Amino acid sequence: MTAPLLDVENLTVSYRIGKRWIPAVRDFHLQLAPGHIVGLVGESGSGKSTVALALMRYLGSNGRVESGGRLDFAGEDLLSKSDAEMRSIWARRVKLVPQNAGAALNPSMKIGAQVTEVLGAAMGTGGAEAEQAMLQIFHDVNLVDPEKVADRYPHELSGGMQQRVVIAMALITNPELLILDEPTTGLDVTTEAVILDLVRGLMAERDTGVIYITHNLGVVAQLCERVLVLYAGEIMEEAPVEQLYALPRHPYSLGLLNSVPRLGQSKADSRLHSISGNPPALAELTRGCVFADRCEFVIDKCRVEKPPLEQLGDGRAARCFRWEEVDASFLGPAVGSSEGERVLQRDDADTDTLMRVTNLKKHFPVAKSLEDWLRGRTPAPIRAVDGVNLTLRAGQTLGLVGESGSGKTTLSRLIIGLQERTGGQLELLGMDIRNSVRERSPDVLSKLQMVFQNPQNSLNPYLSVRQALRRPLVKLRGMTPAGAEAEVAQLLRRVNLREDYADRFPDELSGGEKQRVVIARAFASDPDLIICDEPVSALDVSVQSAVLNLLARLQEEHGSAYLFISHDLAVVGYLSDVIAVMYLGQLFEVGAASDLFQPPYHPYTEALVSAIPVADPHHKAERMLLHDVLPSAQRLPSGCRFHTRCPRKIGAVCEEEAPPWREVEAGHAIRCHIPLEELSALQHSFPRSEEIG
Amino acid sequence: MNSSLFSRQVAALRRFAGVLLRHPQSALGTALVFFFLFLAIFGSGLAPYPNPNDQRHDVRLSPTLDIGALQLGAHPFGTDRLGRDVYSRVILGAGSIFRIAGLGTVISVLVGSAVGLYMGYRGGWFDELLGRVIDALLAIPALLLALVLVGIIRNLDFEIGSWQAELADNVVLLVIAVLYVPVVARVARSSALDIKTREFVEAAEIRGEPTYYIIFREILPSVIPALVVEASLRFSYAIFLVASLGFLGFGARPPSPDWGLMVNENRGGFYQLTPWALDFPALAIALLVIAVNLMSDGIRRAVQKGN
Repeated sequence: MTAPLLDVENLTVSYRIGKRWIPAVRDFHLQLAPGHIVGLVGESGSGKSTVALALMRYLGSNGRVESGGRLDFAGEDLLSKSDAEMRSIWARRVKLVPQNAGAALNPSMKIGAQVTEVLGAAMGTGGAEAEQAMLQIFHDVNLVDPEKVADRYPHELSGGMQQRVVIAMALITNPELLILDEPTTGLDVTTEAVILDLVRGLMAERDTGVIYITHNLGVVAQLCERVLVLYAGEIMEEAPVEQLYALPRHPYSLGLLNSVPRLGQSKADSRLHSISGNPPALAELTRGCVFADRCEFVIDKCRVEKPPLEQLGDGRAARCFRWEEVDASFLGPAVGSSEGERVLQRDDADTDTLMRVTNLKKHFPVAKSLEDWLRGRTPAPIRAVDGVNLTLRAGQTLGLVGESGSGKTTLSRLIIGLQERTGGQLELLGMDIRNSVRERSPDVLSKLQMVFQNPQNSLNPYLSVRQALRRPLVKLRGMTPAGAEAEVAQLLRRVNLREDYADRFPDELSGGEKQRVVIARAFASDPDLIICDEPVSALDVSVQSAVLNLLARLQEEHGSAYLFISHDLAVVGYLSDVIAVMYLGQLFEVGAASDLFQPPYHPYTEALVSAIPVADPHHKAERMLLHDVLPSAQRLPSGCRFHTRCPRKIGAVCEEEAPPWREVEAGHAIRCHIPLEELSALQHSFPRSEEIG
Repeated sequence: MNSSLFSRQVAALRRFAGVLLRHPQSALGTALVFFFLFLAIFGSGLAPYPNPNDQRHDVRLSPTLDIGALQLGAHPFGTDRLGRDVYSRVILGAGSIFRIAGLGTVISVLVGSAVGLYMGYRGGWFDELLGRVIDALLAIPALLLALVLVGIIRNLDFEIGSWQAELADNVVLLVIAVLYVPVVARVARSSALDIKTREFVEAAEIRGEPTYYIIFREILPSVIPALVVEASLRFSYAIFLVASLGFLGFGARPPSPDWGLMVNENRGGFYQLTPWALDFPALAIALLVIAVNLMSDGIRRAVQKGN
C-alpha cells in the first residue's frame, strides 16, 4: 500500500442534544490510499453522513470531534488546522458530493457561472481559461453538449444531469479526496447505472481517493474495493469487497446481505431473511454491543461487554465475539420461511379475474399560454397514461415497473379513484366502477385499498393507532365500536405489532412500524385489491424485508390481490406473480414474473434489468446504458415511444409505426418491432439464473 | 377521549408554556395580558367607584397627585372635568375592550377557519370565487371599511329592545368579525392546501369519508398551530381597532368608560386642564397592545418549536 491519503484513528464525533454531548460516531478509523475507493455502508442513523462531515471538519455548531483521535490528510493533521486553512483545503483538495444535487446548485445562477466560480475561488483562474477547464470537465463526465449545459439554469436539467454537474464541480479542482454521500439515491436505476460507470471511469484515470457512502449493497459491490459496515455509529466490519460478500464475519453484515431480495427470488420460494427490531436511539446506548438487541448470535457476554474491533488478518476486522461462527453457510435466502409456514404455489388457471382495465387513459390538460390564446391553439395534453390494458387476478400480485415519469403512479391513482380518468373502463368483479372515490359505493370502496410510499405522511399525527384502525372498521365494515375494539387488537397482531401499540401515536413509531399500521389499516376492510405504491422504498434495508414478508404472508391469509409499484426490480420480482413494464404511459411488456427477467425481453426491460447494481462483486454484467432522458409526455415520440433511447432500434419502422404486441407464450407479450427470435439471439443470457441458486 | 391523548395534550401544553415563558419579552407580555384580563373580569370589584359615571362635583379636575392635599388612594389617576374617577374608569374600561376584541377575534377565527379549510380542501370554482371576494375585501383599508359599516348600521332605525338594536349596540364586534374572517380564512386555506396532499387525507378519501369529517377530523388538527398564531395576532389588531373606533367616536358611546373614547373626550383644550384624564387611558391602550404583540410573538415561537 502506498502512503495513505487519509489516516483516521479513534475518531469520535458528538452532537449536542439539549445540554448533553452524545457521541454519534465512536472509535472510527479508516485508511485510504490515493486512487482507491472505499465504501461506507449503513442504514439511516448509522452515522455515515456524520463521518463524512467530520472527515471534512465540516460539522455544524452542534457537533464536535472529541479529542484523543487522529485525522491525518496527506500527512497533515486536520484537527489542528484553523478555519482559514480548512477553507483553502475545502476549496481544492477535499470535495463532497451531496445526495441532493438539485439543492446543491444555486437555482438563480447559470450552470457555467457556478462551475467557473468554483475554479475562481480555488485557483484564481478565470475568463477563457476557466471556461476551457469547465468544458473539458463537462466532457469528462459525459455531459452531452457542454456549451449548452453551461448556459442553462439548474431546473432545466434532469436529476442525472444535475448530479453530473455537481460531480464535475467537485472534480474540476482535481481534489485529492472525494466524498460521495449517496449520490444516486433518488435517481432511477437507469440513471444510477450511468453515474456509477462515470465514477468508476473517473477514478481509474485520476489518482483521487474516494469515499462512497450508501445504503445500497449492490452499488458497493459494483464500485468499491473495501467496505466499512457502520451500525449505530460504530464500525461493525471492515473487509475487501469480495470477501465481505463471500464470507461476512459479523452478524449485522450477514443480516444486511440476506435481507435484500436477489433478482429472480420469489415469495413462492422463500421468505426473506430480516433483522428484527429497530436500531437503538443515540441517547440510549448500552454498555454492551450496540447490535446485541437485534442479533441472532447474541450471548450474555454481548450485553455487558463491548466487543473490540478485532483484526482478522487479510485486512479484515469485525466487532463481534463470535465472528468465527459466522460463516458462508448462513448466506442466502432463508430456507422455508422465517415465519414457520410454507408458501403455496398458486395455479394460474383456476384464479378468477378480479379487475379488468381496458384502454385506460389519463390526459392532463395544459393551461393555455398567451401565445396559445392569440393563435387560437389548444396545447397538447400531458398523456400520463395512454391506453393501458391489464388484467388483475384474485389473490395475485401484479408488479408495475418503469422509470419515474412513466405513469405508474397515475395509473394506480386512476384505479383507486383518487384521479378521474379521461377514458377507458375499469371492471371490478365484472361490474363497471365509477370514476372517482366520491361516486363509488361503500361496497366498492371497501374492496379497494391502498398502502402509500411515505409512512411518515400516511398516518394522521393527531390520531392514535387505535383511532386510525377503528375508523375503517366502523365505516366500511359497519362494526359497532365494541366489535371494532376487539378487531383492532386482532389487526395489530396480524401485522406483528403488540396490542399496546393501539394507544401509541405516529411520532412514537419507527418507519417500519408506521408502515405496518398503514398495512393493517388497508387490510381492515378486508379488501380484494390493495395498491402498494413503493411501500418499502422509504424504509431501511433491514426493515424492508420484514415488511415484504408481511405483505406476502397477509396475501396468503386473505387472498387479496396487490398492484405493486416499485422502481426496485428485485423487490417487484420477489412479490409479483405477473409483471408489467411501463414506459411513457403505455405497457411494453407483460409477463409472468419468473419469465420476465430472462431473454427474450423488450429492449427497455433489458436496459432496466442490466442497470440494477447486483449485490455480488463477481457479477460484472455488460450494461446496456440508457443515456438520454425520458421524453416529455406532452410531446411523445412518434412510432414506438421508446425509439429515441432504444439501443436496439432497427430503423425507420421504429420511428414511424407503433410496434405490435408479440406473444412469447401464454401471458407473456412484448411490444416491439424486432421479431422474438432475433431478440432472443441478440440478448445472450446473463448469468442470472445460476446466481439465484 | 382516551387518557393517553389527554396526557399528551397536557404535555404539549406544558412544553408550549415552557417555550413561551422562557423568553423574557414574551413572559412579560403574557403576564401583562393576564393582568389586564384580571382587571377585565374582576374590575367592578376592584374599582374604588364601581359606577364609572359617578360625578362628584366637589372633586372635579382634581390632579393625580395633589402634593398639598396628598389624598393618594382616593383618586390615584385624578378626576376628569366632570368629577369622575379616572382610575376607576380605566379599570372598568378593560372589560369592554376584552369583551369586544376577544369575542370578535373568536368569531372571526371560528368562521374564518371553517370557510378557509373548506376552500382549501374543496378547491375548484368555489375556492376561486370566494378567493376573489376575500381579495376584494382585503383591498379596502380596514379602518375605512370599519367606519363605513359602523356608519351604516348606526343610522338604521331600530325598535328599542329588538335584536337589531342589540346588534347595532355591538356593531364594533360585528365589524371585527367582517374584517378578520377573510384574513383568517386565507391562513386556514393555505394550511389546508398543504395538508390535503398528505397521504392520510387520501386514505380518508379512499374510505369514502364525508367532506366535513376530512376537514375537521383529518385536516383541522394539523392546522390548529397556525390558527393559534393567527388568532393571537388578530387579537392584537382587534384591540387596536376597538381603541381607534372609540377614539373616532364610532365605537362605544359616551358616557361609557371606553379607553379610546376617554382619550377623545379629554383631548384639545381639556388636555391643558386634566392631562391625566387622557394620559392614563392612552397608556393603558399602549400597554395592552404592546403586551399582546409580545405574547403573540412568543406564541409563534413556541408553536414553531413545538412542531
